[in-house]
Amino acid sequence: MKLSYKWLSEYVDLSGISPAELAEKMTTAGLEVEGVEPMASGTNLVIAEVLECRAHPDSDHLHVTKVRVGEGEENILQIVCGAPNVAAGQKVIVALIGAELPGGKILNKPVRGQESHGMICALFELGVDRHWLSEEQLNGIEVLPEDAPVGETDVFGYLGLDDTILDVSLTPNRADCLSMWNMAKEVGAILRRPVTWPDYAGRSDKGEKGDLAITLNTDKCTCYYGKIVNHVKVGPSPKWMVNYLHAAGINSINNVVDISNFVMLETGQPLHYYDLAKLPAPEITVVDDREMKMTALDGVEFDIHPGDLLITTNGEATGIAGIMGGEESMIDENTKGILIEAANFNATAIRKTSIRLNLITEAAQRFTKGFESLAMRKAVDRSIQLLEEYADASGLEETVIAGSENYTPVTVRETLTHCNTLLGTAFTMEQVEDVLTALDFKPEINGDEIICHVPSYRIDIERPADIDEEVIRMIGFDSLQDTLPNVSATVGQLTPVQRARRLIREVMTGAGLHEIVTYTLVGDDYIQNAYCPIGEPVVLAMPMSEARKYVRTSLINSVLECVQYNRAHQNADNHFFEVSKVYGKGTEDERLAIVLDGEIHNDPLHGNVIHGDFYAMKGLIMTWLARCGYNANRVSVTENKTDTVHFHPYASAEVWIDKTCLGVFGRIHPEYAKKFDLGDVVYAELSIQPVLEGKAGRIRYTAPEKYPSVSRDIALVVKKEITVKEVLDTVRKSGNRKIVRSSEIFDIYEGSHVEEGYKSVALRIIYQAADHTLTEEEISAAHQAILTGLEKNLKASLRA
Amino acid sequence: MNNRVEQVRQEALQAIAQASGLEELQQVRNTYLSKKGAIQELMSLMRNLSREEKPAFGQLVNACKDAVTKALEEKQAELGKAAMNARLASEKLDITVPGDRFEIGTVHPLMLMQREIEDLFIGMGYKVAEGPEVELDHYNFELANIPKDHPARDMQDTFYIDPNTLLRTHTTAMQMRELEKAEGKTPIKLICPGKVYRRDDDDATHSHQFMQVEGLVVGENVTLADLKGTLTYMADTIFGGGRKVRFRPSYFPFTEPSVEVDVSCPFCNGKGCSVCKGSGWIEILGAGMVHPHVLEMNGFDSEKCSGFAFGVGLERVTMLKYGIDDIRNFYTNDMRFLKIFDRYD
Repeated sequence: MKLSYKWLSEYVDLSGISPAELAEKMTTAGLEVEGVEPMASGTNLVIAEVLECRAHPDSDHLHVTKVRVGEGEENILQIVCGAPNVAAGQKVIVALIGAELPGGKILNKPVRGQESHGMICALFELGVDRHWLSEEQLNGIEVLPEDAPVGETDVFGYLGLDDTILDVSLTPNRADCLSMWNMAKEVGAILRRPVTWPDYAGRSDKGEKGDLAITLNTDKCTCYYGKIVNHVKVGPSPKWMVNYLHAAGINSINNVVDISNFVMLETGQPLHYYDLAKLPAPEITVVDDREMKMTALDGVEFDIHPGDLLITTNGEATGIAGIMGGEESMIDENTKGILIEAANFNATAIRKTSIRLNLITEAAQRFTKGFESLAMRKAVDRSIQLLEEYADASGLEETVIAGSENYTPVTVRETLTHCNTLLGTAFTMEQVEDVLTALDFKPEINGDEIICHVPSYRIDIERPADIDEEVIRMIGFDSLQDTLPNVSATVGQLTPVQRARRLIREVMTGAGLHEIVTYTLVGDDYIQNAYCPIGEPVVLAMPMSEARKYVRTSLINSVLECVQYNRAHQNADNHFFEVSKVYGKGTEDERLAIVLDGEIHNDPLHGNVIHGDFYAMKGLIMTWLARCGYNANRVSVTENKTDTVHFHPYASAEVWIDKTCLGVFGRIHPEYAKKFDLGDVVYAELSIQPVLEGKAGRIRYTAPEKYPSVSRDIALVVKKEITVKEVLDTVRKSGNRKIVRSSEIFDIYEGSHVEEGYKSVALRIIYQAADHTLTEEEISAAHQAILTGLEKNLKASLRA
Repeated sequence: MNNRVEQVRQEALQAIAQASGLEELQQVRNTYLSKKGAIQELMSLMRNLSREEKPAFGQLVNACKDAVTKALEEKQAELGKAAMNARLASEKLDITVPGDRFEIGTVHPLMLMQREIEDLFIGMGYKVAEGPEVELDHYNFELANIPKDHPARDMQDTFYIDPNTLLRTHTTAMQMRELEKAEGKTPIKLICPGKVYRRDDDDATHSHQFMQVEGLVVGENVTLADLKGTLTYMADTIFGGGRKVRFRPSYFPFTEPSVEVDVSCPFCNGKGCSVCKGSGWIEILGAGMVHPHVLEMNGFDSEKCSGFAFGVGLERVTMLKYGIDDIRNFYTNDMRFLKIFDRYD
């Protein structure tokens, strides 16, 4: 909110406290001041009279003037002025040489050859908000009244612009401070200075009995104050009121409308004044069951639905309750009498209607944020007081009140002990009492107990914790020590699942991959083209765009998009992984996506290059699973029967642990890769829950072998279709298991030296016994058995 | 005959001295010290001597043999050393050639920050909670003291899926699940990291998806001062030693009192700079004492226990720590960006 320093000072003595100091104290106490701006600024200003004004000899629009800025010849200055409206005889504002204005410094510099000893100013040149200025004021210099005192240097004081605006950002619980009077109470409490409100109470307790009838046909309006003032005189508002309204960001219209706004700013209660003559009858009914169209004050037509609060007279809508009045009953220069409305409309209803109609008016915002129910009476009293004083109000009728204010005074009990315990402080009762007294909580101290009688406007105070907050914010958070919680000891550790999740990062980064985080929300295309979607997609009710409409059901497209982005930015060898949940209706899954694009290890200088191909991916997955406690005999890699749309049908596979399929890995189908302008990319998307939550193998200790091992190599030629697994299985079955320690393929070759349709496979067998050094005979026998097995079972021939 | 011995000795020593390589030296050895060598030949002359003459002559020949052997060994060591030096010299490397590349990947900067914060709190006895991103209104709002029609629930801010389901707008939802799960038992010490979503247009400082870590402690006599001490410790860990923490009063529906937390600017050490806009302080998070109503709704006796809660935006602190000027960097995953964050720091 915009807070006028000058206006505030009418209620609280601010002497000795600059606006900046006040801003700092308010911020410390929880009323954050985001900006401090003068209403107008400029130095070396003086009120002057234009004695003479003639055209500039070398210009078609400039004028050369003689102005008098004080008594005596020496105070007659020549000033060149470009404003079209400057004329002899005017009283004007002059910025003398050296004056500092928002636009810069005034220099002693001739203008097109004519001496110029200053500048005749327009208000906007003095930093006055253009919003409040008329077309005339925006296009020319400010012309002051004829009786303006020439030589007066307190120009802003004369204009009433000697004010500073504090931009206060109120937290939602402190909507009470949207009232100037309540704000004054708050500032008074912060400064420990007394606060004086105008003597307004009871000013509306008079009037003839009239025929105004008010009916509340909805429980969304709990109370309605109506008061008829039969005679008012519409005219301009006093200058001070205009300035205060401007300070608060509200335009001046006429004295009656301005009073309604001014009283709203003072009391926090939104008011509406109706032109009495334009109402069909002195009758008000509040309803919320209409379906219709109505034209509001701003001339725009709105669709009204059931649930919207409406003010009706004789069945006709005269206003959107709490938001905006109707055009028909608007106050204008011909208004002779008014009906004052001060009511309590339901915050939720007002909020819903104002959001739906996109009509976020000052009144609507105030109803939404809430204020005390006693504000209605205050606002009517103060209205009458100001209308009588500034609009010659007379012919008052009795105030008619429908419903009830439902105000119950709030009392909160707190103890000093509890307060200090919650805050971790050692405040004394004197300190706490001082704060609560300053806040006008009228504390009653009873031993350790403090009974607070909360003022009616502090609708945020309900509980002991609220009192504690008042205490700490008013005494200051600087009084807090830095301590750590002293509760009984707890064990801090990751769960096994969380540890396993971290292991993914260790293995993947160890292998040279980079972790990415991509957006959860995706468009229709990524949902239609999901890999193994987790379920029916979760759709947002009100997406911000088509591209972010669904919660993703798989990671593939986001991850490939990331590779595409990196390629487009000349980044090569893009190896990424992402761990993320995916969601479907009523279901979720956690997945690991891995993408290899280019060389995983790219060091041609030293001859080390690992291509990010199918086998690299397979090795990576197997390594990760082994690290998770799933060794080779629990992991199987089988033909891809899941998805051959995203994956190359002959260069991809499923990976399983025990009897659970985790997902598919392999080359992306060339057709699908095109979608992302990619070539040969290898991808994996695996469900990791079975891995994280499954029964991982434990580490088992075996002593290092004591006796030497012997290795023998075999070179075989077999039919191309024979898989490596078949070869190794045959070795395992044929060899003496007691002494065959391992068998490993170290070369596979197809080509010119091997017959068409065949391949050459090279194996290394390691023999070792646990209890003795093997003899040549033992080894030969075992080795021969393997060779025979291979020849017999696989029709393999030994290669010379 | 004695002259003959001396002659052989002289010849041998000369040949040894002149040998220029190990092979030549071996030839010298063969010539003089082998079974058919010159010195053995001298020995064979002995049989022509008298019994009296033999010892003296034998000694002479042995002395000759020792001298030649010693000279040979010395020469051999000398030549061996030279050969080794020559070999080493031939193996000289260009040490300016780059070493092998050991490519180690990087953990995403947000995850690095998350882990750093997790580890800090685990060390203080906290657990790490988890919860769903597609969340029930009940946990995201209702239990967090944000009832229906609370302005904080405006449709503008929340991605609703249906009237009861939404994308969680804060990790507070996880806190509420944990509070409910605890069934009133204290102490509770946990942190809740995760992705959250809000209806914001993406620009340099806003993202519809971002990450938070919230902390929650509930127990007997948990105080606001404990919150301050805990957050000071956290700020120190994130931004480096000697950080100070400042509380300013604020408002959140689920805490009372509520505070905004500033940390003394790590760039200027609180003196005032462009990052902190001259104030010496940077706002990093919101926090407060768990609202008694929240405790009660979740089955705790707010008379007997109290708690604090805080929530920090991972993007915000990471951006502040490294001076990152665009939040979208975290989600475009440009390799050049990712590679910068290659360690805990």
